[in-house]
Amino acid sequence: MKRFAAAALAALMAAGLSGCGWQTVDPDEARESIQVIAMDTVMIFTTYGEKSTHADYLSEDEVRRLESLLSRTDSESVVSQLNNAGGLGISVGEEVGGLLAAAEEYSLATGGAFDITIAPVVSAWGFTEEENRVPSQEELDGLLALVGPEHVTLDADAAALTPGTQIDLGGIAKGYASDRVAEILKENNIPRATISLGGNVLAWGDRPDGTPWRVGIQDPQNADRADAYAGMLKLENAFAVTSGGYQRFFEADGRTYHHIIDPATGYPADSGLTSVTVVADCDWDEVDGRPGVGTMCDALSTALFVMGEEKALDFWRSGVYDFDLVLVTEDGRVVVTDGIANEFEASEESGYSYEVVS
Amino acid sequence: MKSSPKLRPCLWDALVVLLVAALAAACALAVWGGHSGSGPLTAVVTVDGAEAERVELDRLKGTAERTYSGGGYTLRVSMEPHGGVRVEEADCPTQDCVHTGTITRAGQSIVCLPARIIIRLEGGPVDKDAPDVVIG
Repeated sequence: MKRFAAAALAALMAAGLSGCGWQTVDPDEARESIQVIAMDTVMIFTTYGEKSTHADYLSEDEVRRLESLLSRTDSESVVSQLNNAGGLGISVGEEVGGLLAAAEEYSLATGGAFDITIAPVVSAWGFTEEENRVPSQEELDGLLALVGPEHVTLDADAAALTPGTQIDLGGIAKGYASDRVAEILKENNIPRATISLGGNVLAWGDRPDGTPWRVGIQDPQNADRADAYAGMLKLENAFAVTSGGYQRFFEADGRTYHHIIDPATGYPADSGLTSVTVVADCDWDEVDGRPGVGTMCDALSTALFVMGEEKALDFWRSGVYDFDLVLVTEDGRVVVTDGIANEFEASEESGYSYEVVS
Repeated sequence: MKSSPKLRPCLWDALVVLLVAALAAACALAVWGGHSGSGPLTAVVTVDGAEAERVELDRLKGTAERTYSGGGYTLRVSMEPHGGVRVEEADCPTQDCVHTGTITRAGQSIVCLPARIIIRLEGGPVDKDAPDVVIG
């Protein structure tokens, strides 16, 4: 009897121990999810693997570091120092210099639809200080004279702005943050994760059950319903970024004005689109912490929203960059480019009509 | 060989054996039990990064009302048994938290940036078709 009891006890203890061991080594089971507010948005880091907790908090630290480096409203940031330099050249460091170079590239590639010097115009509409107003055409004309990539001079780590020009890297900061987080995931051998930085998502690896991550695209017509989707993307190792006028807007004199300003007019882009989602592969071998695919998706989502359906699809067809698109139009259509048609699932209850284009 | 009377097992020894066995069983259950499900549907409220409250929705007897404050703003939140959390009223300037509407399943959250308050649902039944993450 005693032997039996001892054996049963030993078996139970061994089972308990093996249970513990299994829990710490199985990457599918060790999951950490943290939610933080940074860069004026909510960010959710959900990672798997033995170092998931470490990776989550490293990611949070990195995002906060970038925020203090790039914020236009933090007077200590490098971006603020450049904006306040009165046209003089200052050393911005290698990292900000690299971002300015990337911003210039996307601005030239998109014919000015993406432009970091639009900042004073966005402020004139009150989107920086949350005190919205409709600026006069005269005021806009004056500000637009200082908008354009030619007003930023970059020489390696040094930069200068035309006096009066201001930059805001908000259009690529979260995308760049996703590139930086991807490197943290890679360095910490994170097998799978979903990283959500506002409208920027990184789907890293696959789900624990081996299927792709399911990424819902918010329905712009029902932005006040958390479970209303324009469609679902099934993604593995991909960046996806959405820009939409419904994200920030105000109403005045019976009209709605949103926050994505067309650098050509100084007015909120009126392009017939309600949201643009840019999707591109995240190749683990190419993840190196420099401005990469995440940064590109962020810049292009804004630029293609400004361009409108026709020009956006022409840009996609030009093959300058490797990405795919989901466009939601004001007239109730969802347009999906054929590169991700198989990874896209329509939302039957949404009422949209769906088109695949090539 | 005959053991000394002092070493012979008595009732207390049996109790100790039972206690250790029960503890081992409880440990094994705790370890394995954690894998079988994700727990009951729970609203997790954080204010400025610190967890303020966890509410197990299934344990609510009826609609519960809570108020949370942060950054000088106050949110009045209603929670229904078996899911359904919404911000009824807030004095924040953006009102995004009110406009988010009702959240009902794990992974969804209501965020008030001015108040730095996040209400997130965790646990509950697993729906494989539900999105893991939402963009937009």
